[in-house]
Amino acid sequence: MIQEMKIAFRNLNRQKKRSFLLAGAIGFGIMIVTLINGFSGAFIENVSENFSHLLAGHIFVEGVEKSDRGRNNYFIQNDQVLIEGIESLDLPLRFLTKRSDFDGNLVYNGQTIRQTIVGADWSQENYFQDRMMLVDGSFANMSDPQGLILSQDITERLGLGIGDRMLVKLKTYTGQQNLGEFVLAAVIADPGLIGSMSGYANLDYVNELLNLGPGEYKILGLYLENMSSIDDSVASLYAALEERDINLFPRDADAEDANYIEALMNQGEEETWEGLRYRLYTLNDILSEVQDLVTVLNVASLIILLVLFIIIMVGITNTFRMVMLERVREIGTIRALGVQQAGVLWMFLYEALFIGLLGFAAGLTLAGLIMAGLHTINWGMDMPIFILLKNGHMTFRLFAWQLFMNLAIVAGLTLFAAYGPARKAAALEPAHALRIQG
Amino acid sequence: MRKLAFAVLFLALLYVPLGADPDFTQILTAIDQMGNFEDSDFYCEYTLTSQKPGEPLSVTRGQMFRRDRTDQFVFIILEPVEERGKGYLKVDDNVWIYDPQSRAFNHSSLREEVQNTDAKNSDLGRSNLADDYTVTRSAQSTLSNFPVWILELTARHNEVSYAKIIIWVHRSNNLILKEEDYSVSNRLLRSVAYTRYIRVGARFLPSLITYIDNVNVGETTITELANPSVAPIPDDRFTKSFLERGAD
Repeated sequence: MIQEMKIAFRNLNRQKKRSFLLAGAIGFGIMIVTLINGFSGAFIENVSENFSHLLAGHIFVEGVEKSDRGRNNYFIQNDQVLIEGIESLDLPLRFLTKRSDFDGNLVYNGQTIRQTIVGADWSQENYFQDRMMLVDGSFANMSDPQGLILSQDITERLGLGIGDRMLVKLKTYTGQQNLGEFVLAAVIADPGLIGSMSGYANLDYVNELLNLGPGEYKILGLYLENMSSIDDSVASLYAALEERDINLFPRDADAEDANYIEALMNQGEEETWEGLRYRLYTLNDILSEVQDLVTVLNVASLIILLVLFIIIMVGITNTFRMVMLERVREIGTIRALGVQQAGVLWMFLYEALFIGLLGFAAGLTLAGLIMAGLHTINWGMDMPIFILLKNGHMTFRLFAWQLFMNLAIVAGLTLFAAYGPARKAAALEPAHALRIQG
Repeated sequence: MRKLAFAVLFLALLYVPLGADPDFTQILTAIDQMGNFEDSDFYCEYTLTSQKPGEPLSVTRGQMFRRDRTDQFVFIILEPVEERGKGYLKVDDNVWIYDPQSRAFNHSSLREEVQNTDAKNSDLGRSNLADDYTVTRSAQSTLSNFPVWILELTARHNEVSYAKIIIWVHRSNNLILKEEDYSVSNRLLRSVAYTRYIRVGARFLPSLITYIDNVNVGETTITELANPSVAPIPDDRFTKSFLERGAD
């Protein structure tokens, strides 16, 4: 066995250029697939983390009241019982956030723009300011109860400057028309599609505009230490709240016609109940479709790997046919010296396997270098792709199972490609092989 | 004697305005009855002309089918051509908007605007003033030489679009001539002028309404009603499948 491996390795060295080209082709395929795998591996992690900052939490609790007229009104009235439920558990909790939001029309100087306004407690949520890139004004201006932070894109479209007052038309939490007034406190860099959708205001004023009472708000967010504990934490929180006889929507929504989060949100449309009923949902629920996208990316990378290797396989098969013809007399000689058919077969197969392994190692190294290079670039937080980045940097994450699977595919396919010529070489009669003029 | 006569006169003066005040809830009910068709179906064509600052004039023409006894309406757009087939279907308090491009229904509500104009879905449907509002102030006045009651209506519950509305009602026939709609923060949002009425059977319906946006100055919508009919409407008009077929 060792002898065959040595001969196979020596044969590789005899035709360095050819071996390099074959391994290079395999390496190129592995590099592409590894880059895709690495990107998709970090994709869900980065998107989740960025969303958790935007939404201020990993687990969310919202209250739903069914009015006498059958309307669903969303608000949390008395959060004491919820807080007690949360505090009774040993959750990896960093902090709690209380938020209210609405979709309204900002009106300034004859211009109207639809905008989601998120009310946050700026005295508590300092971390949130760190995630924003200030372009103009100051976060200190949010001491004005009617202060508003808007993205650069929105302020440019409305022609707003710091200190300008604008009107906002909105609906209260029960759907009544209301009119408020904001003062532009700060302008932040437009972080692309998702960022420009939201403006940020003071929670108390947003609650006043929504006609919510003192102590009321719309969503309670739980910001955890790490995202891996989301599912366990929400399960234990659900159980703890259920124990306290809090009316809860079930967590197992039927998602036959819609996605999971949509199905969760549509619960209770047809039902009636007294008082507030609470809904628990998580970042994972919201990003369930993004998870599907990651699966699609992984499947696509696997298909790319297979297509590339089918092309490479043809090359390997042809190369080994050539190799066999080149080495007919040599094969005849070693067979005459007593090497069995299996020995010849394995010489060829080891040679193919070594090419595959070399290619795999080269591809992996190259992908690693490219990833490291891309990671050093700071793309900034004002890029449309910021949602895919971690603090402005591209990150990659590779899973061991993916690497082993790719290695197995490379090894399997190269062996399969070389098997035909190797079998033919092994089947050569020594006397016949020695007669052939190479 | 003079003192007694003065006292009688004073009491009479006090009595006259009090006695002259009608039952305002009845006026609201009369307004609702005027605008609602409990005993028949109702069909008409609407043209909504919307003007916004810095934007070209937008004209939307559509057909309206109403069945007030079951609280249903369907509004299907005929113009502009690119919106043709888009439809609004009211079932209970829900409004479904059908998009012929995607062939999908989206949920809306009576509080949403029709085609991004100043008219709301609720403006097209039945009137519920007596149920939704209570008269909190009243005064007699004139509007363009018409004798009117100015009635301030405050919402009975917090699920109607406007927390407060003021209406100018013709004192002799209970037709609304003007309306002002206020926000929860008591700021004027919208003024509505009912400048023309037409007779439909025993009722009078506003056939020319001007909505003026008091927040975004210069934004107006004019609604014109034409070809009204109280003939029976086939049941299938008030279904989602009608809107789906309408797009074909």
